[in-house]
Amino acid sequence: MSAQGNGAVRFDGAADNRRSGGVSKETINAIVVFALSIVLILGSRFVSPALGSWSQVLTVLTLASFLIVVSFGQGLVVMIGGLDLSIPAVITLGGVLTAGWVGAGNAGAWYLLPAILALCGLVGAFNGFGVTVLRIPPFIMTMATSIILASAALGYTSGTPRGASPEALTVLMKTSWLGVPAVVFFVVLFVLAGWALQSRTVFGRRLYAVGANPDAARVAGVSVGAASTLAYVASAVCAGFVGMMLVGYANGATLRMGDSYMLPSIAAVVIGGSSILGGSGSFVGTVGGAILLTTLGTVIAAIGLEQGWRTVIEGGIIVAALFFLREELFARLRRPGRS
Amino acid sequence: MKSWKPVAKAAALCTAAMLTLATLVGAADAQDKKFKIYLSLSYSGNAWQSEAANIVKALAATPPYDQTVELTEVISGTDPQAQISAYESMIDAGADGIITFPISSTALNRVIKRGCKEGVLFFTYDATVTEPCAYNVSYITSGFGENTAQALVNELGGKGKIFLSRGVPGNSVDKRHTDGAMHIFKQYPGIEVVAEYYSYWDDRTTQQETAKALAAHPDVNGIWAQAGEYGAIQALIDAGHALVPITGENSNGLRLALANPDMQAKGLKGVSAGSPPAQSGYAFKLMMEILTGKRTLEPTNIQYALPWVPADKVKVCEGDRFENGCNVFPEGKVPSSFVTEVFNPELLPELSLASALEGKPTPGATIQPLPADVVKAPNEPGINCQGCEPPADLYKLTTVEPTVSP
Repeated sequence: MSAQGNGAVRFDGAADNRRSGGVSKETINAIVVFALSIVLILGSRFVSPALGSWSQVLTVLTLASFLIVVSFGQGLVVMIGGLDLSIPAVITLGGVLTAGWVGAGNAGAWYLLPAILALCGLVGAFNGFGVTVLRIPPFIMTMATSIILASAALGYTSGTPRGASPEALTVLMKTSWLGVPAVVFFVVLFVLAGWALQSRTVFGRRLYAVGANPDAARVAGVSVGAASTLAYVASAVCAGFVGMMLVGYANGATLRMGDSYMLPSIAAVVIGGSSILGGSGSFVGTVGGAILLTTLGTVIAAIGLEQGWRTVIEGGIIVAALFFLREELFARLRRPGRS
Repeated sequence: MKSWKPVAKAAALCTAAMLTLATLVGAADAQDKKFKIYLSLSYSGNAWQSEAANIVKALAATPPYDQTVELTEVISGTDPQAQISAYESMIDAGADGIITFPISSTALNRVIKRGCKEGVLFFTYDATVTEPCAYNVSYITSGFGENTAQALVNELGGKGKIFLSRGVPGNSVDKRHTDGAMHIFKQYPGIEVVAEYYSYWDDRTTQQETAKALAAHPDVNGIWAQAGEYGAIQALIDAGHALVPITGENSNGLRLALANPDMQAKGLKGVSAGSPPAQSGYAFKLMMEILTGKRTLEPTNIQYALPWVPADKVKVCEGDRFENGCNVFPEGKVPSSFVTEVFNPELLPELSLASALEGKPTPGATIQPLPADVVKAPNEPGINCQGCEPPADLYKLTTVEPTVSP
């Protein structure tokens, strides 16, 4: 794991001394989040006897797959101390172009799928350029990109995205192997690859370094601008891919298809144990966060309460989870008087 | 900075130039007087909103209105404040008429009243306002909720577990539909609402919310849905669940599914009804007939008939229009979330598919007069009037008869 510790290190200046017995705080956090998800699924039997079943687990994993993929990208951006608010617009871009350019009857146009992802990557590069070269604060830059993209999509489609799901995406989202949806296998592979990229490659380590202390990283020879830009590119490619997955899932694109992923993508990253200030976190924790949020959604949907109260409970549980899981909390409790 | 003089000079020059330009434009305007019509949307970005707006654009570009109407579209977002200020600007710009999808039934009343005093005609479509000087053109009062609920109860034989897939929380249209539906469901003790969720009138959200509800209640017998209903069918298929009776709105996907023998064999039954984007076209044509002096009509609430297409009435269109009683397009021609009720052979014969999808006029079409009579809508407090009494039979069934007794 990272030698940089977590975000709180930057405030108190202490060395990374909170690891004990070789198990990092991040690993503990990830285990806790996964455990909570399992407890929630088992406990949901009390809400409805049909819950707590294997089929519920599969539903949760399918619905969580979108969030896991976008949260990986968001996690990389958060890691370098940024924030990507253009995710919903890039999801829509990926979805609209996939349904429109490739579509159902155009199997020969599979090569357009990587082209669409590349286009999304360009959007990420634009974000990275604005943040690193023009020095625009990340949330302003990505919000501006988001507005431009959403408007372009509205203009391009005149409001009605055309087309349907290409065969390959339908296969990914709709078929099952051995009783398990294909997308679950895909997500397992994605998580392994994402974890390796984030925690086992030079690129991943550079991101940790940039997030923990950009000046130190620069001195150490890391190209901060390039590393940061690549994080935004990765985030946009992930978001574009989720747009494709959603096209496969819902057999078509809508202009608001990405809207419900912005805040959950940030929440999953933070619940997963990353510092919103950058420099710490693990993708496995983020995956746990995404699964926990989705499980919560399914369980709460089954409670026969008014919508208002359901949302209050959902928000309350997220706050509670953050309160108990945030590493900064432990740090501050230990060192009262410092912020 | 040495001196402000050059700046002042430049400013004076600019002002003079602008004044001249304004005079010229004004003179041209006087020679060639066009009706200034504004199309005010609250938001765009779903198929329904775009289709409704495109219909108005297509009609405004159809002769003779292409020569006599100057249409400006303004999208102000989901915030009532923004739509108020959009209306203000339109009134100040000398609008003759404003055709609008209002974001709130009450928040816009004050500015609408001001506009009426200045002689601006206000026509709302689909959503309504309670200000009495506006014309509301809407299907809301036509009983979507109670009629579809009764249709579902009929299909279920008066008993079973159902989901309610609702619209946007806090929206008056969603509330009216759901109140009407619950009025029916409550009469049948055998009907149990096991899950109720908001789907934001969106296919994908409906699909995900229905998937969640199915995880907890795989024994569901029927689904009462507002727009986005095609997502409910997909969620059932995804879960490997048998299909159940579903009532929903006017998506192309639902209508094709209802008529599909494979889907029927798996248990799909139901009806397609709900909000027609064509309301905007009817509202626009009414407004233009008043402005051009072809019709006199005091501000009132006008009811648009509820589309009602059960499985045996689904008929696939061969061309790009609703002809010979057809009411759905073949798969691949439009997306499954396309809202089919964009045409009305009687009220809007000018339109074709390109009108709804791209706002283009149909080649060769000219504006046809509307039937002389309009259908007045009943009072609905908080929806189309304030401090008024609803009729005693507010939720009476108009389209479907109960086939099972409670």
